[in-house]
Amino acid sequence: MQEEIMSAKNQALAQITGARDNTELEQIRIDLFGRNGKITGLVKRIKEVPQENRQQVGILINETKNTLENLFAEQRNSFKENAREWFDPTIPGIKPKIGHLHLVTQAITEISKVFEGIGFERVRYPEVEWDFFAFEGLNMPKGHPARDEWETFFVDAPENPKYGKVLLTPQTSSGQVREMLRVKSPPVRMINIGKCYRRQSDISHVPMFHQFEGLVIDENISIVNLKGTLSYFAQSFFGKERKIRLRPYHFQFTEPSFEIDVSCGNCDGRGCKLCKAGWLELGGAGMVHPNVLKAGGINPNKYSGFAFGWGVERTYMMKGGIHIPDIRLLYSADLRYLTQF
Amino acid sequence: MDIKILDSWLREFLDTKAKPAELVKCLSLCGPSVERVEKYGNDSVYNIEVTTNRIDSASVYGIAREGAAILPRFGVTAKLKRIKPFSSEFKFVKKVNYLNPVVNPELCKRFTAVLIKNVKIEDSPEEIKKRLESAGVRAINNIVDISNYIMLELGQPVHTFDYDKIKGSKMILRESKKGEKITTLDGKVFTLKGNDIVIEDGEGRLIDLAGVMGGALSAVDENTKNVLLFVQTYDAVRIRKTSMGLAQRTIAATIFEKGTDPELVTPAILKGIKLFKSLCRGEAEKEIIDLYPDSFKPKKISLGLEFIEKRLGITISKKDISDYLTSLDFETDWYGNNLEVQVPSFRSQDVLEPEDVVEEIARIYGYHNLPSEVMIGKLTGRSTSPKFTFEEKIKNYLSGWGGCEVYTLSLVSKDFVDQGALKLKNPLGVDSEYLRTSLMPSLINAAKENTGTFETFHLFEMSNIYLPRKNDLPEEKLMLAGIFEGYKYREAKGIMEALLEKLHLNVNFEIQESKGFAAGKCVEILVGKESIGRIGYPENSENIYYEIDIQKLFKLSQKDIKYKDISKYPAQVEDITFILPERTKIGEVAKLIESNPLVQGYSLDSVYKGNNFTFHIWYQNPDRTLTNSDVQEIRNKIVQAIKTKFGGQIKA
Repeated sequence: MQEEIMSAKNQALAQITGARDNTELEQIRIDLFGRNGKITGLVKRIKEVPQENRQQVGILINETKNTLENLFAEQRNSFKENAREWFDPTIPGIKPKIGHLHLVTQAITEISKVFEGIGFERVRYPEVEWDFFAFEGLNMPKGHPARDEWETFFVDAPENPKYGKVLLTPQTSSGQVREMLRVKSPPVRMINIGKCYRRQSDISHVPMFHQFEGLVIDENISIVNLKGTLSYFAQSFFGKERKIRLRPYHFQFTEPSFEIDVSCGNCDGRGCKLCKAGWLELGGAGMVHPNVLKAGGINPNKYSGFAFGWGVERTYMMKGGIHIPDIRLLYSADLRYLTQF
Repeated sequence: MDIKILDSWLREFLDTKAKPAELVKCLSLCGPSVERVEKYGNDSVYNIEVTTNRIDSASVYGIAREGAAILPRFGVTAKLKRIKPFSSEFKFVKKVNYLNPVVNPELCKRFTAVLIKNVKIEDSPEEIKKRLESAGVRAINNIVDISNYIMLELGQPVHTFDYDKIKGSKMILRESKKGEKITTLDGKVFTLKGNDIVIEDGEGRLIDLAGVMGGALSAVDENTKNVLLFVQTYDAVRIRKTSMGLAQRTIAATIFEKGTDPELVTPAILKGIKLFKSLCRGEAEKEIIDLYPDSFKPKKISLGLEFIEKRLGITISKKDISDYLTSLDFETDWYGNNLEVQVPSFRSQDVLEPEDVVEEIARIYGYHNLPSEVMIGKLTGRSTSPKFTFEEKIKNYLSGWGGCEVYTLSLVSKDFVDQGALKLKNPLGVDSEYLRTSLMPSLINAAKENTGTFETFHLFEMSNIYLPRKNDLPEEKLMLAGIFEGYKYREAKGIMEALLEKLHLNVNFEIQESKGFAAGKCVEILVGKESIGRIGYPENSENIYYEIDIQKLFKLSQKDIKYKDISKYPAQVEDITFILPERTKIGEVAKLIESNPLVQGYSLDSVYKGNNFTFHIWYQNPDRTLTNSDVQEIRNKIVQAIKTKFGGQIKA
């Protein structure tokens, strides 16, 4: 019986591989597995096999059936392949030219989205500005030492009798008084993003950079709201687990003034090489000084507010942990750098 | 202003068991920011940033005073060891026999001096040297060191004259006149511009550039026997002007220009007398001359509990408020819910308004103890202008079509700008002296930076140009500009066409000469009659450049899109090849084809042999199906017109 099975198997293998099309293949299948098929017949005869060999024969028949069925499938597939046109889906594609948005644009888009989500209105104010909006209106009278901190570029243009000298705005805070004058009466929720200029150029400073300035004015605006808003920003922008802290600082146009730190994402605030004892400096903030509200025509007895102004590049780089050895590279046009971000 | 303070020196005034790390943390959260603490032998040095308004804390004593108020809020015991502001041995008087000063009180609010006789000049003791050197001040000899020591310890600059060099024992403290000359201690000669504070002696010689640096004529040297110890409060604005104007930025000047406390003069001069005795064995006169006509009168500020709570955003008890303020040497009185605060002399420069008092309460309470809540209340009712999304959209389209965005510096060299462009008074260099009036030169440069590294690229930028206006700030015009390298002209122009099509604008391109572009190689982009920009080859350049006025583009594209029914009748499409004479403007041929009302669209599909142009044309009638004879009729019209106008032939 075993011999019979083996010979039937070998014969079938030869027939299947020799088949030229599906019709022939189907006929072979019927001859083997049909009601009167050869293999079917062998299966029926298992009961004639002596008890002691029966298991072995059963296994052999099953194996034969499986082998033959696999071969049928393979053969059918190969008929299909041959019928198809040759196609190679693995060939490398032709890419469209890949363009790229500048890191600053990406940062501005993300930052404005966060603030617009809590009702801030995005604006843009002049880069070439009067002294009044950049300094005097911000509680920094002429000759005030606080002006030194902003390495200001001055423009060779006639002074305005009311607004003073022409300069390149060294901070987006120059938009504060402009926004108050535009809006006339609170509530104010401004996010002003723009170019700023300072007379400095080294690996961590560029003469032209970007800042985003927030200004909120309404009745009963408190330090608690400043903390809340900046925490909201930090968590939306940097990640849920990040915290902020306020440290006392001084700016002429806010009182009280703060430096805002965000917990370091690299070490989760435990302290590492990239941070100062677990914290990274984000930038300045504070409660709007009553003199600034007055300069903007807003009654400081009725309204209060807070403001903050931070560097776009710096904030964005802190997010991704992007370490650029020389920040001036951002303002070169070298695509080898620009397309990395 | 950054200062360095030795831990052991600080503890001479601050009695606490707090460890340096604890001090750093607490001070930074509630007071001056301690940037770092470093080992200094078996001692430590704090690097502290003192803000311009808090010149009162720019000293060992000032930091100790802050520490004494702040540390207890963190559960750490700390006590200030106060200096005595008086002496039973020395008297402050208006007239002395050893000096005859004439002082303009407007320039010098408080003038004190004392004669110290028979000083011995030698090196200072090691302890003094160590303290000075840890603060970054070089030890010289005991006399010079005394001045620096007092300045670091108390924050009051001090000067010493060689008494015997003051002719006639006379001093006239006055404003300088224009053109007067003075030689300072460091040997530099300055010609003064006027309005500086100077001191003249009995022979009319200038012996001091007050508050900035001593004069060479009255300088202490190795032969000095008698010194005049000199402690003043100067007019801050004048000191600053002189120091900045002459670029003579001494530590004394940077302190004086922030306004020192006239009350600080007393402990400073008494400390000086003591140090001269112990270090130089000098004997001070018992009478100190003190001209202080307008002596300090404490100011009071009143504010309500409600105001404090509103600004802080929390409720707080009157007792806590008083405790915090008292720890900072303010005096407080409550009248119901109204608080009257008396400001100590050393804070009288920076605590002027109720908000300033709120800051003191808030920082001692601890910003870290305040909750965080986004404000509630009405929204503004205004929303962000759609122009920002519009700009973003354009950048996205261009980068989607392979453009790479750059930001180039707005400040450029003279060669890059039009005449009359705005110039900086204090540029960083000649290559960044002007505000640009066009993005073209910047982008040509940007392309050059990448040539050689990349074969084809499209760089673009959206930035302002600055067009001067008379008696006003310049117009800041937001421009989109771009430059192509390795692109064919049709590819580059196609990107512009695609952009304008995405913005639903119908544009015309007209040949026009434009500044900076090669003659005949530039088209103006028009919407109706309004020019919004141009594209073409800049002079002497292989690159293709374009620029578009974003504000105009924004305005023109702010129209609603009107829905059009889709024609029920199918279009007929065919390719026609025209053979056109040399120098035919294909843009005009295309315009002619498009002008037929039954032509729904076209594209120029191929150009070969230089004069064979194959157009792919869609014919469609919205009202009925076009028959072959209809199409033939339209085609004939077009072919005829092209023949008449351009002398072109249809290719059989």
